[in-house]
Amino acid sequence: MTKTKIVDYSRDKLAFYLVGLIALILTLRLFYLQVISFSYYRQVSEENRVRLVSIPAPRGLIWDRNGKRMVTNRTSYSLLLLPYKTQDMNFLVKKISLLLNLDENFLKEKIKAGWVNRYTPIKLMKDVDFKTICILEEQNEELPGVSYQPEKVRSYPSLYWAGHLFGYVGEVSQKEMEDSKEKGLKLGSNIGKEGLEKEYDELLRGEDGMNFLEVSASGKILGPLKDKKPLPYTVGSDLVLTIDSDLQVEAESALSKYNSGVVVALDPQNGEVLALVSKPGFDPNQFSSFLDENTWKSLINDPSHPLLNRAIQGVYPPGSTYKLLTAGAALESKIVDRNTTFSYCNGGFLFGNRVFKCWQPKGHGRLNLIQAIAQSCDVYFYHLSLKLGLDRWSSYALQCGLDKKYKIDLLDEVSGMIPTRSFYERKFGKGEWVKNLVINLGIGQGEVLTTPLGTAVFYTALVNGGIVYQPHLLKQIRSPDGRVTLNRKTALSRLPFSSSTLNVLKEGLIEAVNSPNGTGGLARIPDILVGGKTGTAQNPHGKEHAWFVGFAPAEHPKIVVAVLVEKIGHGGVFAAPIAKRIIERYLKGVSIESGGEEKSNFPTD
Amino acid sequence: MKLFKLKTEEFDLKLFACALLLSLIGILLIYSAKHASLNEQNLFLRQLFWLFLSLIAASIIFITPLRFHEIFSYLYYLSAVLLLGAVLFVGATRLGATRWFELKGFTFQPSEWAKIATVFALARYLAYSKRSFKSILWIGTVILLGIIPLLLVLKQPDLGTSLVFLALILSMLYKAKVPLLFILLIFSPMISLVAGFHWVSWGIFFLFLIYLLYLLRPGFFLSVWVLGLNLGFGILTPLIWNRLHDYQKLRILVFLDPNRDPLGAGYQIIQSKVAIGSGGIFGKGFLHGSQTKLAFLPMQHTDFIFSVVGEEFGLIGSLIFLAIFFYLIFRGLSIASKSRNSFNSNVAFGLTSIFAFQGIVNLGMAVGLLPVTGVPFPLTSYGGSSLLISWISISILLAIHYKWTEY
Repeated sequence: MTKTKIVDYSRDKLAFYLVGLIALILTLRLFYLQVISFSYYRQVSEENRVRLVSIPAPRGLIWDRNGKRMVTNRTSYSLLLLPYKTQDMNFLVKKISLLLNLDENFLKEKIKAGWVNRYTPIKLMKDVDFKTICILEEQNEELPGVSYQPEKVRSYPSLYWAGHLFGYVGEVSQKEMEDSKEKGLKLGSNIGKEGLEKEYDELLRGEDGMNFLEVSASGKILGPLKDKKPLPYTVGSDLVLTIDSDLQVEAESALSKYNSGVVVALDPQNGEVLALVSKPGFDPNQFSSFLDENTWKSLINDPSHPLLNRAIQGVYPPGSTYKLLTAGAALESKIVDRNTTFSYCNGGFLFGNRVFKCWQPKGHGRLNLIQAIAQSCDVYFYHLSLKLGLDRWSSYALQCGLDKKYKIDLLDEVSGMIPTRSFYERKFGKGEWVKNLVINLGIGQGEVLTTPLGTAVFYTALVNGGIVYQPHLLKQIRSPDGRVTLNRKTALSRLPFSSSTLNVLKEGLIEAVNSPNGTGGLARIPDILVGGKTGTAQNPHGKEHAWFVGFAPAEHPKIVVAVLVEKIGHGGVFAAPIAKRIIERYLKGVSIESGGEEKSNFPTD
Repeated sequence: MKLFKLKTEEFDLKLFACALLLSLIGILLIYSAKHASLNEQNLFLRQLFWLFLSLIAASIIFITPLRFHEIFSYLYYLSAVLLLGAVLFVGATRLGATRWFELKGFTFQPSEWAKIATVFALARYLAYSKRSFKSILWIGTVILLGIIPLLLVLKQPDLGTSLVFLALILSMLYKAKVPLLFILLIFSPMISLVAGFHWVSWGIFFLFLIYLLYLLRPGFFLSVWVLGLNLGFGILTPLIWNRLHDYQKLRILVFLDPNRDPLGAGYQIIQSKVAIGSGGIFGKGFLHGSQTKLAFLPMQHTDFIFSVVGEEFGLIGSLIFLAIFFYLIFRGLSIASKSRNSFNSNVAFGLTSIFAFQGIVNLGMAVGLLPVTGVPFPLTSYGGSSLLISWISISILLAIHYKWTEY
């Protein structure tokens, strides 16, 4: 069923007239533009062409917690090519590649990628040194169209590298431009590529300005465009970090004699990161200037993975540092109290037909829980783990959040790994595996894994009363208009341990450093009560990884330091002295340059 | 027996020729705008490919019975709204706007489909509803049908396309023979929103509104509703707006339209005017536009395609272009007026008003009479979805003309 239309011609006519009127207006407008104003517009288009030159905004600076400058901007010179001034592009490319010993194809690629039109300069190289400029200037007669442009580039401290912290800055890629929700990114804009530079790129970057220049037909710049003021740039915001740059230097130098290792220092009262070192590192400065392909390849292909931030991306067995997790779970489950003892440790533990060894072949004798933590007796913890069982162990580990990411403000953090019953059932099927495995898990071996950051955060919660604070590097944002935004502490969760449990664990940690038989004696500092736990994680690829997690002052901790040295040996020997240096530096403000290998009679783990 | 035999005397060859001309001119213009660029030289080939595809789609649509669209009108509309919702979540983001579905290098813009689907839904409602235009239910339904896609498109954000939906609501109300003053009454809250930036302008408008209500006497509920909305907008706008910092205001404006003059106010319009003005009476010749070659205008193959016409073909070329376009609009209007089926007539009017609105806003922008909103020129600007949907619209117009006697 359709209805018959009653034709209303007057309305249709009105629509016709309206459209006709608009057509008339547009025609008159075209007549005005193309006939009456023709000579004006023809002149503008023929004689004066507009060229847009962006004025890059200086990136925000990065300061440490004490107001020391860490990352700044310095002036450098970029090598430009002005296509309209060159007669023979191939000759020019050949000449430059000969003079500077560069690959011809590399230059050609740069020109292709940077081409907009004949009048827009192409950036060939960033941050060329004075020598290069001299070489080119000597030949400038033969090199028409070669020019230089001053430009701000990032300057990172030379005293310490901290490439993992800062990351680096580079030119925006085509893909990043398309993905970005941000406006104002143009070909040639610099953006943060890794680390804090990327995490806080939007704050640091600021907004580029724009110059509108009049250019003659031949490409000569006549001056700023009339009636069009330049758009001023907006400086990026400054960042104030929680990092103590002195402590960062100390941590880097404490690790200097080892090939690979990690230091994470946190403030246990709020999760502020005081120092963060991952070795081997890289110098972010090399990314500011012209990075040749060989350097890049050697960084990528280095078997020791210098670009990997081991503190947040490296996973390791936690070793004896996780005995505190086992002890805490056992205390909460009322399996033990601080005075419980098990059978005599004679250096090993027979379970089924397998002997589980204690790290101390001589054995520890009969110990209570405090002594077992202090001396890191494996046999004691084998007993404890068996009584606890896999399910309770993994349940407490999960409640402690040890399988979670801590959402630190650095990119690509990975999480630790807590095996559970379902994990093993997936892996091995249902069976009699359960009891064997928990014996190993209880001393931090087997399938359990952690990142150095994860262990450090776990210990901050152990010593601050049980609160897991989000670890963070940003303390303040200082906007160019003077506003200061504080980054406040955030509590992520609470440990599932009561305060009496935490007190027992803390006592064990203090004993580990201060009792005569404790494994962490090398971390002892006169006048300061230090607590901590050693760890020696078995490594199928070589020598053990040495762990030490320390805190001080024990009464009201101001710093927690997690140290990991890869493939070296006992934690008490290698990691504890590093933690001691860092704690002492932070609390006493003095540097102690340790001389050589520290020998001691302290028992180790 | 032949399935379909074309009756040539009923086929609107003039409309078809106009549309094909605009498309082919578009491909030449895209070639000219991009031939000097380094990596986008082949865009015109993509457009040619899309034109080929569009013509195939148009033929299929042409032989589809119009009754088929009528039956599925609301389903079309539902699918369009769902797609618009989905694109906000899974769409590809470019330059800050989420408008496209992306699959293996091909992209589709669901807002293009939504234009046609909304025309169908509105046309069907207007053709069958027996309610008076003074009923709140009637007005509410018409406005709701238009405003849902409008808001979804605004969220992307795409100010230009959402204005198309606004124009569509207006033109459909006009087509439904709602008195002009009454349409003004319906849209008065929007005017209040704009007039509310200053209390004097708003006060004058509000007095006028009261006079209008006295004149029309639309009934108690509607009067209270209209007055309430106007009061609300008139008071809220300045309150909220004045509390914002300058940079926040700018952000709202930029949010509404991310492509809004990326290089500072007026730059694109200045460049477009220079290009058109410098073309003179005869133009600089095909491929000889210096403004075009030097790529001063970033969007010359899409939103500012008319500036290539103006620069390279001058006043003569521009007027020919205008003539083709406006002839196309007149054909569309006369098809709407001629069709004896109320639904078909509404569809023809709706589709034609979309063409007219987009074309006029685009031209107005290029010659510096209207602000930059980012509306492509139908059939001519670069863009696959836009071309495809434009050709489907043309094909529906052709079909309505072909069967104009159908009830």
